[in-house]
Amino acid sequence: MAKKISKKDIAQLLKAWSQQFAVLAPSRKRGVAEMAEWDGKDVSFLDWYRNTVVPPKASFLPPMEEMFRFQKDKDNYKIEPPSKNGQKQLIFGIRPCDARAMAILDMTFEDAYQDPYYLSKRKNTLLVGLSCANPCESCFCTSLGISPSESADVDLMLTNIGDHFFIEEITAKGKELTAKTSGLKDANKDDEAEARKAKETAYNKVTRKLDTEGIKDKLLASFDDEGFWEKAAAKCVSCGICTLLCPTCYCFDINDELVKDEGARFRSWDSCGFSLYTRMPMENPRKEKWRRVRQKVCHKFEFYPMTFDIIACTGCGRCIRLCPVNWDITKVLESVPAKAKAGK
Amino acid sequence: MTVSDINQRQKFFAEGNVYLPHIAVIEKIIEETPGVRTFHFNLKDQKLQKDFSFESGQFAQYSVFGIGEAPFCISSSPTRRDHLEFAAQRVGKVTNALHRLGVGAEIGFRGPYGNSFPLDFLKGKNLVFVGGGNGLAPLRSLIWNVIDNRNKYKKIDIVYGARSPADLCFKYDLDAWDRNKTVNMVTTVDKGDDTWKGKVGLVPKVLEEVAPSAEEAVAIVCGPPIMIRFTFPALEKLGFKPEQMLTTLEKRMKCGIGKCGRCNIGNIYVCRDGPVFSYAQIKNFVSSEY
Ligand SMILES: Cc1cc2nc3c(=O)[nH]c(=O)nc-3n(C[C@H](O)[C@H](O)[C@H](O)COP(=O)(O)OP(=O)(O)OC[C@H]3O[C@@H](n4cnc5c(N)ncnc54)[C@H](O)[C@@H]3O)c2cc1C
Ligand code: SF4
Ligand code: SF4
Ligand code: FES
Repeated sequence: MAKKISKKDIAQLLKAWSQQFAVLAPSRKRGVAEMAEWDGKDVSFLDWYRNTVVPPKASFLPPMEEMFRFQKDKDNYKIEPPSKNGQKQLIFGIRPCDARAMAILDMTFEDAYQDPYYLSKRKNTLLVGLSCANPCESCFCTSLGISPSESADVDLMLTNIGDHFFIEEITAKGKELTAKTSGLKDANKDDEAEARKAKETAYNKVTRKLDTEGIKDKLLASFDDEGFWEKAAAKCVSCGICTLLCPTCYCFDINDELVKDEGARFRSWDSCGFSLYTRMPMENPRKEKWRRVRQKVCHKFEFYPMTFDIIACTGCGRCIRLCPVNWDITKVLESVPAKAKAGK
Repeated sequence: MTVSDINQRQKFFAEGNVYLPHIAVIEKIIEETPGVRTFHFNLKDQKLQKDFSFESGQFAQYSVFGIGEAPFCISSSPTRRDHLEFAAQRVGKVTNALHRLGVGAEIGFRGPYGNSFPLDFLKGKNLVFVGGGNGLAPLRSLIWNVIDNRNKYKKIDIVYGARSPADLCFKYDLDAWDRNKTVNMVTTVDKGDDTWKGKVGLVPKVLEEVAPSAEEAVAIVCGPPIMIRFTFPALEKLGFKPEQMLTTLEKRMKCGIGKCGRCNIGNIYVCRDGPVFSYAQIKNFVSSEY
């Protein structure tokens, strides 16, 4: 049965959870909104928070992450494997779009070879979702089968119903957590009705729409339509923001650093928007900007669906909100020609 | 790649972590051409060196600690296991650092990754090897593999070319194959010099002169992209069908296992789904970016 908690008890709840978990919650301490370690008292995010600028993927695939260290002893090297960090985490307030993004990322990191860095953190983390009451103009999650207030990709889902939050137990892990949490009340029929109403209102507030019907095949047919892609890429300045801060983008680079005899290998976010990304000694398959923009769009709406049968976009709208030149992925997708112009 | 393949390979990874390299020791260095060196190496852990297995066509990630990693194919044959080999052309950061190393130096090694040449498909067929420059590296693993199991295959033609006599890699192999009576070895250069007595001409043209029959044959083509692009049509002229032509593709790589994103051609990751592809597969790629 669903639970509820009074709004004024949220700080208490997070405090209790902090005993067992490293609790992450929306924070603006570093300037931009991100999921950061909760400071033990501040719940003002309940008022200002719409969504984070930095997507929650950062807690699993950090912008920069040490993979291992090594020590140089004259001509010999010793590798120190990464320490097995078993720290349990809880992310409080993740939006349904971003929770779906995690499920989408799982597919890549679990495919064939397991990625130990990502998966160990993922396994140790509970997601507590928070319904979106104020979607942004740039959001189009409902076009991708996501509701701003409903999620199957979290462990617990909270919805604002006035002076309380309505709590749904989505997974067994979520249920286990509520069973161990004191201060929760059982929700009644009225609460349920209230939650349903809040969800409906939120759903209808997402006004931006994208017709994804047949988009994969349209892109497939237009892949070699150079004219279309050149136009689509015209104003992009290749800053990479739309990919680095996209919750489903996962490209990374791997580099070494050695200072005296102490070294480390680390990986860091990278972007298919940069021309160095694919640069090879003799040639570069994506030297032209339009090829890189095409890669970004097609990876999400054509290649990922071919491999994993799901569009790798959640309609979170970050790439639209954050682009310095107002590049708009929904406009580009809507203008893909229905039929191919140039043959292959 | 099946799950059991993955599990089979997983045991070679340090701590089960696919990104952790093993320490390998350089045993011998051969100057192939002014820019290309072959490195003979062994894994430092002797048990691992013994248990390690790979197939012709697979690659690995090699690192100079503190500088970085770069992918190279394993250029030795799985049939010759007293050591492992790779050949690196000096073009950038990691390859320059590798070329500064001497015998006894320690490098990082993780792999093997990728698919391999389909031996079952090649069995019982006439094989035509077409190589250019240091593109002979992946081919020579297969050529020695095939020669060491000579009775499993029919006729073997090798057409290999380089820009000039000084750019010919693996001259000791070229000599050995030339002496081998069961192999038809043809070496060519784009431009000869005073001492060059062999053929002069581009690989695709020489291949048309050699004119191997397409009957029950498979052509395996490795070399610079420009050579590959001209060799496929030449083979088609000789009657080879796209399914009868194999090659290896190269893209910039970091992870080597389909995670870091950069080596894709459409929905294909060259590191995970390749590097060995048939021309038929390549023609079917979503993207023309190969
Ligand atoms: C599956 C596979 C198998 C391969 N097998 C072999 C093999 O057997 N033998 C072989 O020799 N090669 C092989 N290669 C190619 C080899 O991996 C590359 O040549 C190697 O990675 C180059 O690494 P590097 O660090 O030396 O070059 P990098 O330093 O990465 O540079 C390469 C080029 O890019 C330029 N560049 C790099 N960074 C920048 C920058 N920031 N700004 C501007 N320019 C830049 C450099 O000037 C240089 O010309 C293979 C590749 C693949 C994918
Ligand atoms: S954020 Fe805008 S300008 Fe920057 S790479 Fe993306 S589309 Fe181009
Ligand atoms: S492509 Fe844009 S809208 Fe889609 S998930 Fe990424 S940032 Fe969000
Ligand atoms: S090298 Fe990382 S995906 Fe292929």
